[in-house]
Amino acid sequence: MTDERIDLPQGTLNLLILRTVALGPQHGWAISERLQQISGKVLQVQQGSLYPALHRLERRGWIKARWGASENNRRAKFYELTGSGRKQLEAEADAWRKLTAAVAQVLETA
Amino acid sequence: MFSDFLFRLRGLFRRKRVEAELDEELRSHLEYEAEKYIKSGLSPEEARRRARIALGGVEQVKEECREARGVSLVESAAQDVSYAVRILRNRPVFAVVAVLTLALGIGANTAMFSVMDVMLLRALPVKNPQELVEFVRWDPRGAIMGNLPYEVFQHLRENTSVLSGIFAFTSDSRVFRAGVGSERSTVHEVSGSFFSTLGVNALLGRTIDPNDVLPNAEHHVVVLSYPFWSRRFGRDPSVVGATVRVNGAPCTIVGVMPADFFGVNRSRLPDMWAPLASDPGQVWVLGRLKPGVSIPQARAQLQPLFQQALDSFKDGMKDSRAQERDAFLAEKLLVNRATTGTSDLRWQFWEYSNTLKILLGMTGLVLLISCVNLTNLLMARSAARSQEIGIRLAIGAGRRRILRQLLTENLVLALLGGVVGLLVAAGGHRLLVTFLTGNLEGVSLEFRLDERVLGFSLAMSILTGLLSGVLPALRAAREGFLPAMHGIFQLRGAPRLPLARKLLAAQVALSLMLLVGAGLFVRSLRNLATTDLGLARENLVLMSVDPSLSKSVRDRREFWTQLTERLAGVPGVRSVSLAGDAVFGYGGWNAPIWARQPDGAEHDARVPYNVVGPGFFQTVEIPLLAGREFGWQDQGKSPPVAVVNRAFARRFFAGENPVGKRFGNAGPGSSSQIEIVGVIGDAKYRDLREQPQPMFYLPLFQNLEERPYQLHARTAGDPAAAIAAMRGEIQAMDQDISINHVRTIKEVIHSLLQHDRMFAFLASIFGLLALLLTSIGIYGVVAYQVTRRTGEIGIRMALGAQRTDVLWMVMRETLLVLAAGAALGLPAAVAAAQVLRSLLFGLGPSDPLAIILAAAALAAAGALAGFLPARRAASLSPMDALRHE
Repeated sequence: MTDERIDLPQGTLNLLILRTVALGPQHGWAISERLQQISGKVLQVQQGSLYPALHRLERRGWIKARWGASENNRRAKFYELTGSGRKQLEAEADAWRKLTAAVAQVLETA
Repeated sequence: MFSDFLFRLRGLFRRKRVEAELDEELRSHLEYEAEKYIKSGLSPEEARRRARIALGGVEQVKEECREARGVSLVESAAQDVSYAVRILRNRPVFAVVAVLTLALGIGANTAMFSVMDVMLLRALPVKNPQELVEFVRWDPRGAIMGNLPYEVFQHLRENTSVLSGIFAFTSDSRVFRAGVGSERSTVHEVSGSFFSTLGVNALLGRTIDPNDVLPNAEHHVVVLSYPFWSRRFGRDPSVVGATVRVNGAPCTIVGVMPADFFGVNRSRLPDMWAPLASDPGQVWVLGRLKPGVSIPQARAQLQPLFQQALDSFKDGMKDSRAQERDAFLAEKLLVNRATTGTSDLRWQFWEYSNTLKILLGMTGLVLLISCVNLTNLLMARSAARSQEIGIRLAIGAGRRRILRQLLTENLVLALLGGVVGLLVAAGGHRLLVTFLTGNLEGVSLEFRLDERVLGFSLAMSILTGLLSGVLPALRAAREGFLPAMHGIFQLRGAPRLPLARKLLAAQVALSLMLLVGAGLFVRSLRNLATTDLGLARENLVLMSVDPSLSKSVRDRREFWTQLTERLAGVPGVRSVSLAGDAVFGYGGWNAPIWARQPDGAEHDARVPYNVVGPGFFQTVEIPLLAGREFGWQDQGKSPPVAVVNRAFARRFFAGENPVGKRFGNAGPGSSSQIEIVGVIGDAKYRDLREQPQPMFYLPLFQNLEERPYQLHARTAGDPAAAIAAMRGEIQAMDQDISINHVRTIKEVIHSLLQHDRMFAFLASIFGLLALLLTSIGIYGVVAYQVTRRTGEIGIRMALGAQRTDVLWMVMRETLLVLAAGAALGLPAAVAAAQVLRSLLFGLGPSDPLAIILAAAALAAAGALAGFLPARRAASLSPMDALRHE
């Protein structure tokens, strides 16, 4: 069985989480499912590393958490983007685009 | 930043809540995940299993979340501490050895700190002590004198504008009598500004004010110190206003000082204060600078005033030798900061001697040895624990976490050591103060467990904990993993401890330094204790007899004659004589003398002298070399005579027999005044270390004064019985004759050797402990090596190695360490010993015997410590050794 999925490059998990919760408040499992779906199952996001990352982002004040009821009325911890989180998302997304564009250019022309 | 802090705080104080939330969050994740699998058709059990696998280890995720939240610092520190305590309780021998090692190092240094704190650093308990200054004289020949002529004090007081106050005081011993029973007490006579300048008030009644000091003051007053008031009057407040007698004169107690006030000198506590007499002679002088005045500013104004005051003495000094007068007039005034009081102790132990510095050096060495020893113990232990550490690394503990854990263990050890060290410090403090000042009474140098001492000991604990722990912990955290994982499968991978060998060598070197010091001090003490005094030390009793309060004594000559004769008849007394100053007392007086040189010129010099009664030399057993000693005929108007010692004859009469020759002590032209009638051998007179110096003696009855004289008595046997009998005999003559300062010459010499004994004792104790610690260190490391190499030893034996080969192989290790330590330590010890030169008697700092003894002791103890595990290695049976793995 060949595995086409690649590990996340260092630091990109934060960016992906911020982008995911930018759509609206979500709980941990939903974030993990969403990441799997959007990335077309190419990116390998370890569920185990998702939660420490969420807590780290919460500590930095980029996302905030509150307890609420989920769709099937279960209590869950929802994460949503804060103001500074939105700025951070824009900055990181911008940096990422520049980086990938530059890498792509090198790969095509060199 | 701030929100981050609040976030951490929430984690800390609402830990349960945060933990519960974390639990719930992960549980809900697992439920969602399992639901997903159930929907895709798996059984609930299988679904839950898959969900758990997908998440990974729940506990590990939680730990990572906790770390991500940053709450774990304090929490994990608490965990580390409880874990450390558990680990230490499981290894009680290690823990006890480590704690005692540290307690010794920290305790010795804390004791030193607290002694130096009370002697040199602690401020006087008076108002704004940092403004106080003391005035001392400095003469161009380099001598520093702590007191000034009273006239100089008066001149400064009347003309200064840089001081807000200045006061003078003297110290004297008086007979105090209240109701029945009299006793000697220490009285400080103070100028009227003493208490007001210091800014202290009386506890009861009042202090002494300027009116009490006026020459026409109506009556005498005293103010009692708190300890004296407690001891003598049981803190009875009604004594204020009572009349007592001081040296026979009626005096009113006008006040009692608070408990913490002892004057301005911690080493001389007065029993009471009294107004300064009208002509007090030399006085100690202190002042208070006006706010904003610096010491150089004060000196700039006071030095010229001092000079003026000295100049006014010029006329009165016509008869002095020119050299002395010039030296006196060239004296300079020094102004020293006196925040801690007058500098007796500072001078005696710090500025003009190496005493405290050498003690500091010794305790510093002890601390170093403690640290190195603990490092070694920890190294050996962390090597032994590498499996445990490896396992913890393998199951996910971070390296930093391991490092923190190990350092926490060391800090716990160090703090325990610090606590035990405080006990060592309290005992050590008392011991040091007793050794340094001779007693604990009459000094305010008690151990106080205050924030300074606690702070120092805490700082020392943390420092030693980190110092001795960093190396082993770093190594364990760095190397822990691989060797340890090896270790589970094969023991041979354990580290070889090359660093341990270096540390052991360092420890050997440090111990050698202490042992060489101990050897030098012990040999010096032995030399001092057995040095030839020039007089016989057995059964010689000294006492000071003061008839000044006796009303029955009319004729002094008759009194002293009668006293000598009556005491000579007391059973157990072989002979009795009198002297102005006792042998090994203050050392007599200095007098300028004039002697005619062989070329006819008159030569002048300053020579110590003493006045002695008939039969003095026979009593103290200084041999008479020529002529005669004084007899009863040398008195009153008989021709002036003197006895001189051999050094005097050598110096002034070129070694010829001086009997019949003459010298004088009454200024130029007096060189034919006194006839020398006898020559005695050279005896030590002030100090055990002194070289023979010229000295002369005059007949006491030719120079009789109204003063106490020193009785010298040679007893036939045990002095104690004879002392009691002599006391009885004197009391029988008159109850009011006071007898003071009764001691035997052996006791005097014993107290002269106080500091030498202290150094010898402390250096020996520290040296022996260092020896013990080093032996433990060598034993520990070699024993560890033997365990580690058991398999190898088995193979060697199986291949034909003899037991002696094995023994030698293991011993080689120890001998190498000892040799390296000696190579390092001997030069260091010889170099360090140079600072001891002035303290040693009869040997140099590189005394070969002391060095050889120290090296031999260390070699023997070290070799024994290495031999025990070596013998165990040699007695292994090859089969057992091979099976060991």
